[in-house]
Amino acid sequence: MTPFIHNGTEDTPTVKLDTSAPELLIAERSLPEDAHEFYKPIFEWLEDYAKNPNEKTVFRFELEYFNTSSAKQLSKILLFLKSLDKEVEIIWCYQLDDIDMFNSGKRFEKLTGLNFSMVSIPVIDDDDFTIITD
Amino acid sequence: MFNNKANEKALALELYDSFKDADLSYIYHGQFSQTITDLIIMLAETSMDRIGESAKIKKRVFSIMVESLQNITRHQDNTGEYQGFFAIEQKDGYYFVTTVNLIYNENIEHLDGLLKKIQSLPSEELKQYYKTVLIENEISSKGGAGLGLIEIARKSNNKVSYHFHRINDECSYFYFHTCISPINEEDEVNDTELVRIDNIFLLHQLLKKQNVQIIFNGLFNQENLINLLNIIENQMAGMGHLKRVVFNLMVEMLQNIVKHGIKNEARIGNPGIFFINRQNKSHILNTGNYVYNNQIDNLKIKIEHVNSLNHQELNDFYNKCLFNFQVDNSKESGLGLIELRMKCNNQLKYAFQTIDDEKSFFTLQVQVD
Repeated sequence: MTPFIHNGTEDTPTVKLDTSAPELLIAERSLPEDAHEFYKPIFEWLEDYAKNPNEKTVFRFELEYFNTSSAKQLSKILLFLKSLDKEVEIIWCYQLDDIDMFNSGKRFEKLTGLNFSMVSIPVIDDDDFTIITD
Repeated sequence: MFNNKANEKALALELYDSFKDADLSYIYHGQFSQTITDLIIMLAETSMDRIGESAKIKKRVFSIMVESLQNITRHQDNTGEYQGFFAIEQKDGYYFVTTVNLIYNENIEHLDGLLKKIQSLPSEELKQYYKTVLIENEISSKGGAGLGLIEIARKSNNKVSYHFHRINDECSYFYFHTCISPINEEDEVNDTELVRIDNIFLLHQLLKKQNVQIIFNGLFNQENLINLLNIIENQMAGMGHLKRVVFNLMVEMLQNIVKHGIKNEARIGNPGIFFINRQNKSHILNTGNYVYNNQIDNLKIKIEHVNSLNHQELNDFYNKCLFNFQVDNSKESGLGLIELRMKCNNQLKYAFQTIDDEKSFFTLQVQVD
């Protein structure tokens, strides 16, 4: 299956949908003006994938930020994965001090009933681009 | 709890009205860093590109901005008590750049003399004067020799004006105002009206009083939204959770203008205003944009509804809308207002001012404590 790769920009996330990789990935920032349009090719890829999905699908969400119109698209992705009827694991990453991102993950977990692993990642201090570890 | 509603509404309208004739006004009021300076230049650049500004004007605006911003960063008060001020406005093809920075009273005489001299010189002599100063190299303690000011005067065909405003026995504010004209030098009339500083002086006083940190008035689109976000992110670096909340609210508020505001005639963006001011410990985010009169009722109902809900109800309403795929298109997810109300934990304040039979001006205010 042809992978779908999109390199992130200032307002769109990095997307790596590649069945030969251990995880499918959406990362960084998602605040496009038209999220509905931006996520279209992702749904097209997923629909193709659904024809012959892996026994287990691991989808990693490593978002730093998403706007409300992206939230809607994310909920659609999650519902789609739910409909695969195969084993699905969602890895939901959040920066240690980002309570809102953590809560978003919890919200999606509750509403979709999918298997979520919550993973905290170190805070990226954008003041001087150093990584603070405990 | 204090209620400044009436006061605030007046401010949003007062500001918008003061910019009404301008095609672009961008004001930054606060501490200046190299990154902030770079971002301000980028914002002006994207705005100029968007309206298809000529390369010649762009170059002149650019170099005047760089010199002006350097003046501020070099002479800013590092205690943060007296904040620097930078404004760029575009009106009928003219660009106006104004800076305000702190100056010691003891330096006023020298600076005043230098500026009087600059203003008195015709362009050829100004060029010569620049060279003289460069050679003589009378470096002041802060590393400037007035070369920046001479350079600005040269680039603007000497359309500069200035003003000193005394703060106390030690310092004053130094206002420096420049105009870049779209007209060729030889065809130009000496229009002193263009370099009047009074308006910007009053505006600065108003912004100081209301603690306004950033204002963007002009055409909103996704590009300048990203620029504005970068500036705020930088300005609020190190403020952790608060920074995230403000970022969040800004995205939703600005995208509201981008998606739902009425486009201007040339359809290159939606005219509106955005500003942030601080009141005690709160940050107050304000937007203003045009909406069609027939959208008002619907918008009112939506805002009143989210305002009427408590925390749990908001949460349930958000979940319901998140999975409501009947509202799922390029324009709308149905989540924006709920998110604003949830994130700020305050009521959303709003107002509509009728413009004509077709449209009104809609202001929205969100307070983060």
